[in-house]
Amino acid sequence: MADPFEPKMTAFVCNWCTYAGADLTGTSRIKYQSNVRVIRLPCTGRIDFMLVMKAFSRGSDGVIISGCHPNDCHYTSGNYHARRRWMVFRDLLDFMGIDLRRVTFSWVSAAEGAKWAELVNDATNTVRALGPYKEVQQLAAVGIE
Amino acid sequence: MSRVGVFICHCGENIAGTVDVAAVAKAALDMPGVVHAVEYKYMCSDPGQTMLKDAIRDKKLDGVVVAACSPRMHEPTFRRTAEEGGINPYQCEMANLREHCSWVHEKGEPTTAKAVDLVRIQVEKVKRNHPLKPIRVPITKKALVLGGGIAGIQAALDIANTGSPVLLVEKSPSIGGHMSQLSETFPTLDCSQCILTPRMVEVARHPNITLYTYSELEKLEGFIGNFKATIRKKARKIDEKLCNGCGVCQQKCPVKKIPDQFNEGLSNRAAIYVPFPQAVPNKPVIDLANCTYYKTGKCKACEKLCPTKAIRFDQEDQIEVHDVGAVVLATGYKTMPVGNFSEYGYGKYKDVIDGMKFERLASASGPTGGAIKRPSDGKTPETIVFIACAGSRDRLKGVPYCSKICCMYTAKHAMLYQHKVHGGKATIFYMDIRAAGKNYDEFVRRAVEEDGVKYVRGRVSRVYEDNGQLVVKGVDTLLGGEQLEIRADMVVLATAVQAQDGAEELAQTLHVSYDPYRFFAEAHPKLRPVETNTAGIFLAGACQAPRDIPETVAQASGAAVKVAGLFSQPELTREPIIAVVDRQPPPVFSHCVGCFLCKSACPYQAIEEESIKNRNGDVLKVVAKVNPGLCQGCGTCVSTCRTKAIDLQGFSNEQVFAELMSI
Amino acid sequence: MEALQNKAKELLAASAVKVVIGYGKGTGESRRPIFVRAAERAGDLVVDTACTQNLATYLTKAEVRALGRIAIVAIPSTLRSILQLAAEKQLREENVLALAIVDGGVRELATFDAIEEAVATIPDAIGEADQKMIDKLTAMSVGERRAFWADELGRCVKCYACRSSCPMCYCERCTMDCNRPQWIPVASHAIGNLEYHMVRAMHLAGRCVECGTCGAACPVGIPVHLLTFFAEQTVRRQFGQKGGASAKLDYAMSTFKPDDKETFIR
Repeated sequence: MADPFEPKMTAFVCNWCTYAGADLTGTSRIKYQSNVRVIRLPCTGRIDFMLVMKAFSRGSDGVIISGCHPNDCHYTSGNYHARRRWMVFRDLLDFMGIDLRRVTFSWVSAAEGAKWAELVNDATNTVRALGPYKEVQQLAAVGIE
Repeated sequence: MSRVGVFICHCGENIAGTVDVAAVAKAALDMPGVVHAVEYKYMCSDPGQTMLKDAIRDKKLDGVVVAACSPRMHEPTFRRTAEEGGINPYQCEMANLREHCSWVHEKGEPTTAKAVDLVRIQVEKVKRNHPLKPIRVPITKKALVLGGGIAGIQAALDIANTGSPVLLVEKSPSIGGHMSQLSETFPTLDCSQCILTPRMVEVARHPNITLYTYSELEKLEGFIGNFKATIRKKARKIDEKLCNGCGVCQQKCPVKKIPDQFNEGLSNRAAIYVPFPQAVPNKPVIDLANCTYYKTGKCKACEKLCPTKAIRFDQEDQIEVHDVGAVVLATGYKTMPVGNFSEYGYGKYKDVIDGMKFERLASASGPTGGAIKRPSDGKTPETIVFIACAGSRDRLKGVPYCSKICCMYTAKHAMLYQHKVHGGKATIFYMDIRAAGKNYDEFVRRAVEEDGVKYVRGRVSRVYEDNGQLVVKGVDTLLGGEQLEIRADMVVLATAVQAQDGAEELAQTLHVSYDPYRFFAEAHPKLRPVETNTAGIFLAGACQAPRDIPETVAQASGAAVKVAGLFSQPELTREPIIAVVDRQPPPVFSHCVGCFLCKSACPYQAIEEESIKNRNGDVLKVVAKVNPGLCQGCGTCVSTCRTKAIDLQGFSNEQVFAELMSI
Repeated sequence: MEALQNKAKELLAASAVKVVIGYGKGTGESRRPIFVRAAERAGDLVVDTACTQNLATYLTKAEVRALGRIAIVAIPSTLRSILQLAAEKQLREENVLALAIVDGGVRELATFDAIEEAVATIPDAIGEADQKMIDKLTAMSVGERRAFWADELGRCVKCYACRSSCPMCYCERCTMDCNRPQWIPVASHAIGNLEYHMVRAMHLAGRCVECGTCGAACPVGIPVHLLTFFAEQTVRRQFGQKGGASAKLDYAMSTFKPDDKETFIR
């Protein structure tokens, strides 16, 4: 019998809030599903929309993007720029036919260890129910790498 | 070809108990570029670090991945070890197999697979790391202390005593803060002003301290070691050099009925006033909102009568810009207004007061000369009720936290009352007694055993006025929930300690984080209590959280030592995680097209224009350039740049792309 | 038309400008860009409703920049492009003279302020057919849209005509050409095509002047301009800022408001 589908989840997080929050999840020993792979960046402002795009075309079934709450950015305003970028990029993704249910945006602070676990679990469960992102992965399988 | 070494830490059982570390090491050896992969019990231990250094040397490694705990724990440790081993510290990365893997997932194949992925991500990153050199920045060895209460005073004195100049800026006309309003302090019951005023005078006389009272910080630019502070010195309308503090102006001012803030409204002051007799500096200030001359153009009595002709009605606010290297935030607290409490009368009962008002009644230099009198009719209260936790520990209608100082000062107030009103009946309604400091519990026992204060464990549901007295309806939970009704002459609420008004705006001006209650955020709650996340800005006192005087003084000294430590270095070494705009050989010079969208996005205004010229001085191209002293390494510019001409060292496009592609 | 030809002749004869960039007759009913350097050839210039290509693309070419002061025949979108390029520090005011086509003749606009004033009076709307298509697409389901774009972009041969024709794509080394890292595959590739057009739309968001030249340039007839229009409309709707309105930079994607409305962030 084939293994049940386990979604591949990629997370882009900022070092100061969400990464620290995820560390707190670890220190508190709160368990969550292991599908997610975290890519640490200094700030959500550094999250290029191309990275999100490449995550999907590279084979991720779901993407999580998370950073500091507005007004709390370690670099003062990186997350505000990120938020603007997400507002436009999200609409564009939807317009071009990408399923937005597979993308989760959130603000997780360094003190919100429980929230990170909940977020990862919810996102993973949602994407598991949606199944592998065949539509994009099929396109990516055509031709060169 | 890269020569990467992977070192997988067991962290005792923390990682090895859940992740198959041997399998991870084996998988790492198969990754392209990895020439050495081992596992070890405790990488951060001395033998672990020695092993790392030996491996770098013996295997000629040019990159190192330590797969262990979070980089937020030990990245500096391993980077230092790598440097000692002979490679650039920035060629060392950490994979988080503990906080992000073994501690949060169940033992099993998927968890080990994730550990392998996490290692692979860092291997791909480190293969593209460049050696980076720390940036050296000069330090202005001058400190700015914001707030002239006991916290600011202590910090300023400590920094000044190390030999560095200090600028102490206080918003109100005198330093002293809330401590100058207190009568006696717990647990010793010594007179607050007696211990404070010598410090205040020391501040005024200290050769290294410049005191700016009635002044506020308007803007803070720059970064650690290199701040530019814009300070507004508000016009007192007095020439301070001529004024000799004789006080004639206050006596003769015709406007006399302004509620005195220092005395919490229990007495009045004139429109030209010195906040309290021991004020430092002892120079008056004109309250423009209430001065007849400023309202109608008439009067000028003070000007006519001043013996030294020190009144200056046309004096303007002055703006000064100072270069400072560090800032200490010591802006203090306020207490929750009595008007907040619907059950206790919305603030309309004159004899329902808060703790600060009681201090002024009890104070020998207060409006009643230290006698406890009812604000309504001036009579001495025979029965007094104190209500603790008014607004604190109240998730629904107040603040959820404990204000820390109220149990102690309520006991103090009750004791003072008993000392001053023999035969008076004092009752305290409390939830718990929090008396954890040195000699604190003994102090509270004294109130009960020696001064006969009655402690009732229960809350007060309502206070209302009836025939000139206050009816207090509470409950005694230790007597099985028996309802109590006390007819009192005065009720004192121990109202919650809150962040100062304007704390949020000040935090935003300084780019300092704050919590939902507007208390300033420390860098780490346990290990970095006097620093903020903004390098160069430190915290002291109640602006961070409710605290008492001994802790405030200790913390202020702690902040001062951080500043002194910063100033003790000849220059500041900054992390080289900064953005760089590429440069290419002619004729390209740079891929940057000079659109400067990055410049408008940078939170630190760290991007400048650079004109690339030929030998004749003709400008060939104007491109962007990052100021390495200002850039903090957020990378917002990198995401904004369309052409990818600007990149972030340490988190470059190549590195992040490689990390993503390796999953 | 005559007014334009006379004006061009005048400018060239007086050496006030080195070249007049405008439209000339192409094959059949089409029009193509021409570069008139000699006053005698001013008669080659044509102005009519078939002149729709945005000529501002040429303003950032090294060959044109090297000429110094030039004049350009400016339809409304060209004027907007000039402002956006000016905001991004790509043009010097003294080197650009816009010859705006207005009812009954030609208006010389020599300063960015003058162009800003003129642009303020021009209404925003994109063509009716294009708006209808965008509305039709937004009404579809996500799956239908994905199928639509996969189908359309499947024909893309990565000729980059869209990029070349766009005035705002003036980067000397486009992200596409960057190979360290190679963000997007160079050849025509099912997912790569989607990525390329997504990136271009994001790079144009807040900068696009909605001229439609990119879609018109596509040799296989893909309506790529709908993507950039959509991105631009999104920016306008969400933030109230738009491309080509002023010579002072007001780029939505590098500015922010603390209370930007977020509805999707957990």
